[in-house]
Amino acid sequence: MHDKSVFQHRLLPYVLVAPQLIITLVFFIWPAGQALYQSFLVEDAFGFSTEFVWFENFIYLLSDPEYWTSIRVTAVFSFWVAFVGMALALLLAAMADKVIRGSRFYQTLLIWPYAVAPVVAAVLWLMLFSPSIGLLPFWLSKVGYQWNHLANSVEANILVIIASVWKQFSYNFIFFIAGLQAIPRSLIEAAAIDGARPFRRFWQIVFPLLSPTAFFLLVVNVVYAFFETFAVIHATTQGGPGNSTKTLVYKVFEDGFIGLDLGSSSAQSVLLMVIVITLTVVQFRYVEKKVQY
Amino acid sequence: MASLTLTHLNKTYPNGFTAVHDLNLDINDGEFLVLVGPSGCGKSTTLRMVAGLETVSSGDLHIGDQRVNDLEPADRDIAMVFQNYALYPHMTVYKNMAYGLKNRGESRADIDRKVREAAQTLDIEHLLDAKPARLSGGQRQRVAMGRAIVRNPQVFLFDEPLSNLDAKLRVQMRIEIKRLQQRFGTTAIYVTHDQVEAMTLADRLVVMNGGKVEQVGPPIELYEQPASRFVAGFIGSPAMNFLTAHLENPTTLVLPNGQRLELPQAVDHSGEVMLGFRPEHLESCSPEQSDFTLSVEIIEPLGADTLLYGNFPDTDTLVLAEQSGKARFHSGERIPLRFDRQRLHLFDPQTELRIT
Repeated sequence: MHDKSVFQHRLLPYVLVAPQLIITLVFFIWPAGQALYQSFLVEDAFGFSTEFVWFENFIYLLSDPEYWTSIRVTAVFSFWVAFVGMALALLLAAMADKVIRGSRFYQTLLIWPYAVAPVVAAVLWLMLFSPSIGLLPFWLSKVGYQWNHLANSVEANILVIIASVWKQFSYNFIFFIAGLQAIPRSLIEAAAIDGARPFRRFWQIVFPLLSPTAFFLLVVNVVYAFFETFAVIHATTQGGPGNSTKTLVYKVFEDGFIGLDLGSSSAQSVLLMVIVITLTVVQFRYVEKKVQY
Repeated sequence: MASLTLTHLNKTYPNGFTAVHDLNLDINDGEFLVLVGPSGCGKSTTLRMVAGLETVSSGDLHIGDQRVNDLEPADRDIAMVFQNYALYPHMTVYKNMAYGLKNRGESRADIDRKVREAAQTLDIEHLLDAKPARLSGGQRQRVAMGRAIVRNPQVFLFDEPLSNLDAKLRVQMRIEIKRLQQRFGTTAIYVTHDQVEAMTLADRLVVMNGGKVEQVGPPIELYEQPASRFVAGFIGSPAMNFLTAHLENPTTLVLPNGQRLELPQAVDHSGEVMLGFRPEHLESCSPEQSDFTLSVEIIEPLGADTLLYGNFPDTDTLVLAEQSGKARFHSGERIPLRFDRQRLHLFDPQTELRIT
């Protein structure tokens, strides 16, 4: 009797964690291992010959100017997505926090874009910005500006940034408004009595208290811009014109599945993995140290 | 330093709730005024209107000779101590205290001198570099006080500043607040729901209930001559006892047990009245002299005093009698008691106002 109950208890924990473990193994550890292994191989497009080449893929990659272009594109793109997305979310959160009547209504509306699938969001903005049928280019033409993101790389970047920001700012908004509502009202009142005007109150009292939230969101947004904007780019510019919107993740896809250079594509994946791990470590370090003021 | 005048002050919220109703108060220069009442009585709202944190719906608010209704909190030259202290968590104690001075554009040297002076007064010099999270409740309280006194404002406002402290610290800080206020001679308005705190601190006490002022006066006057049943029940610890009694004629009161009491002065009322008497104004006596006999149900020995609970004869009204701690009592004992005739309070059962 006694033995049996111990046996049951011993097995049960494993059974309970098994689904999560299996998902992690099948969808993360195994593919990551595959990528790592493949990054050391050179294969021809049809898989007839395979050669183990150690770090040659990495060396080739890092000496390829196209890869550095992609890094630059990703950096610029991530900066703007994170910056615009967070600034817009903070502005809207600060305003929504002040709304007393119908605040739920505004907050719900502002959260909606997050529920929209990335491809749908991208197509929505693609249509709005379409040089032939889009509403915004039509309006821009009225003031004498010819919008064509198919030809102009800056405009292409603006399009993917706007679509990505629109998709993400709701997420930032939720965190900022929760952060704002967690700040005791009496602190703001004390600052008002201490002679700080609204603008100064925001930057000297509210903003520092939001900084842990802001840092968390910065990491999340950079990760988002790096990895989750693939659908947006794929549905709008496909990396073009030229290579002007070809981010690192998009390049992984293109080199691997269109160029069929699996070795190089895997090597790029491994480098991206290193970046994500670094960002995560930085975040955990910061969260542990800096969050308590 | 300044006097304050509140004239026909009203506060009605957008949802139609009137928190403060036609409040009139003159607060003298250097006075320590305490607003006391149960939660929701409008005392905090009044304080927040003086601070400028709530708008005034109607009426006038003057600090000194200046009408301040439409001035920003910063321009009213007041300092406020909040219940949760409201210290800026990301700033050191020094910066917390300096913040108000910095915003007013004082020179670095002046700020430093004033902050160090205030810190010395409050004995928190050793904490100047610490952040609020590291401080104990009492230390945070001191820093909050420091932030108020460092600016040397016209008026101190206190919004239940001691309610987050434990009982012992509360008594200690109470004395300290009183001492600081006397030393600086600054006008102070202090909000609390604790009547002991109110009695001990106040030069004058304002008892509020349901958005209205019930009575204003020095603590002893409110204790001895409560203007309404509410004030009578609120001021004094333990609380006053109430009984329904009957006025046979202007000088004779009939108690529920049939006992007749001759009043020292004739009163201008007849019929049913509410009789109020404090537990400490019941004395034990011989059975012949007694007004009623209390059968003791519960005894609370406090050391200096002993509290006795039991129903008034022929009623189910619980009565509390305070007796000297020297005497020994036991449950079920029947104790003959006598009212102090000079300290009976009569209230109109309808208006609840004092009958004289």
